[in-house]
Amino acid sequence: MLNARSPLSITLSVWKALFLRESLSRLFSGRAAAFWLIAEPLAHVSFFVFIYTIVRVSAIGGIDTALWIILGLFTFFFFRRTSEQVTNAIRSNKALFAYRQVKPIDSCFVRAGLEGFLMLVISLLALASLSLLGHNVIPDAPLMVLVAVFGVWLIGLGFGLIVSVVEELVSELRHILGILMLPLYMISGVILPIETIAEPYREWLLLNPLVHGLELVRAGFSPYYHIVPNISLTYLYQFALVIVFLGLMLQRHFAARLVMQ
Amino acid sequence: MIIVDNVHKRYQTDHGVGPWVLQGVSLTIPPNLSVGLIGRNGAGKSTLLGLIGGVDQPNKGRIERQCSVSWPMGYAGGLQGSLSGRQNSKFVCRIYGYEHKMDDRIAYIRDFAEIGDAFDEPVKTYSSGMKSRLQFAMSLAFDFDVYISDEVTSAGDAAFNKKAADAFEKLSDHASLIMVSHSEDTLKQFCTAGIWINNGKAQWFDQIDDALSAYKGSIAK
Repeated sequence: MLNARSPLSITLSVWKALFLRESLSRLFSGRAAAFWLIAEPLAHVSFFVFIYTIVRVSAIGGIDTALWIILGLFTFFFFRRTSEQVTNAIRSNKALFAYRQVKPIDSCFVRAGLEGFLMLVISLLALASLSLLGHNVIPDAPLMVLVAVFGVWLIGLGFGLIVSVVEELVSELRHILGILMLPLYMISGVILPIETIAEPYREWLLLNPLVHGLELVRAGFSPYYHIVPNISLTYLYQFALVIVFLGLMLQRHFAARLVMQ
Repeated sequence: MIIVDNVHKRYQTDHGVGPWVLQGVSLTIPPNLSVGLIGRNGAGKSTLLGLIGGVDQPNKGRIERQCSVSWPMGYAGGLQGSLSGRQNSKFVCRIYGYEHKMDDRIAYIRDFAEIGDAFDEPVKTYSSGMKSRLQFAMSLAFDFDVYISDEVTSAGDAAFNKKAADAFEKLSDHASLIMVSHSEDTLKQFCTAGIWINNGKAQWFDQIDDALSAYKGSIAK
C-alpha cells in the first residue's frame, strides 16, 4: 500500500520529476542540442548587429545598438520560446498522463519554468560575451529589468496555456497561429524601433504588451535611454495577469478533455 | 474498492465522433477480488481497463477509486525514447514518491527486466519485447492495491511469460488484479470474478467460470 501523500507533495514530486525529465530531453536529445539552444538566438543577434553596423547605426534611442538588439531579442525570446514550449507541452507529454498524478497543467508549468531558466542562463551568457567585447552591459536598474522580463515570461506562459487548450480542441489553428507569430516579431519593437513610427499608428502598436516589456528592459539598462512615451509596467502586468488567469481557467475547464484520447 | 458509475465512452475520430464503445457501464469492484474482463475483440475491454486505470477519461459518468490503482501494466506510452531505461524508471520512482528508496527500486527493475546493459541505453533502441519487459518490471516495482493488466503475459518470450505469471501469483497475496486476457487458463488461474462486456454493457459474474460460459454461449449462437 502506498502511503497517502498530500496533494501538495504529490504535485511537487511530479514537478521535480518532470523538470528533470524535460531538461534531459531538452539539453541532451539529438546531436549537441544544448549548443543549438544558445546558437539560435545568438545567430539572430549577430545577423542584426551586422546589418545595423553596415548602415552605421551605433546607437538607438541613446544606447549602444548591440545592447539594444540583444535586449530586445532576448526579451522577445523569453516570450516566444516559453509560449512555444508551453503550447507543445500537452501534446508531447500525452503519454505521461497515464500516470494519473501527472496533469496537463503540470507539464505546462514545468516547461515554462524550464524555458525561463534556460533563457536566463543564455541571456547572461550573451551579455557576458558582449561585455568581453568591450560594451557596457551593467544594468542601471537590475530590479526593473527582472520585473519586466518576468512580466514578459508570464505573458508567454499565459499565451501558451490558452493556445495549448485551443489547439487541442481545434487543431487547425496551429497553422494560423504560426502565421501570426511572424509579424509579432516585427511589431514588438524587437528590431524596428517603435519610436520611429508615427502617431496614431504608434499608439496602436502600444496595445501589444510585449512592446512595453521590451522598452522597460532597455530603460532598465540605461537611464539615458529615450523610452517610447506611454510605456507602462502596469499595463504589462495587467495584461499578463488577465491572460494567465484566462489560460488557467481554460485548462481547468477542459482538464478532462485534454487527457482524453 | 472501485466504483464505475454509468460510464459512457466513445472516441473522437478524424471524421467526427465514433460510435459508443461503452454505454452505461456500472460496476463495483470490491477490494481484494481479482477480476477478469472478457468479451470479443473490439467489445471495449481495453477501453474499460484504460478508464479504470485513468489513462483515459469517460465522456459521461464517473469512476471512483478508493484504493491505489496501478497504471495499466505494460502500457506502451510513458517511456521517453531518448531517455534510457534507468532514466525512465527514475522518473516513475519520483512521481510515485519513492525518491528516498530509489536505488533499491531501480535495482529491482533492472534485475526483473533482465535486459542487461541495455538498461542504460535509450529506450528507442529497444525491441518491443525489451520494452514490455521494462514496463512490466516498472509496474511491479511499486506497491498498489490493484494492478491492471492488459494482456501483459502474452507480450514477452516464454521465459519472461513464466516469470510474469510467477510474479502475478506472488502479487495475489497482498493485491488484486483486473485483467484482460484471451487465455482462459490465465483468467481461471488468477481471477475469481468476471466481467463480460457485450454491446457496450458490462455484466458482472461472481464466478469467472460463469462469465466464460456466458461469453462462450453468446458466440455459439
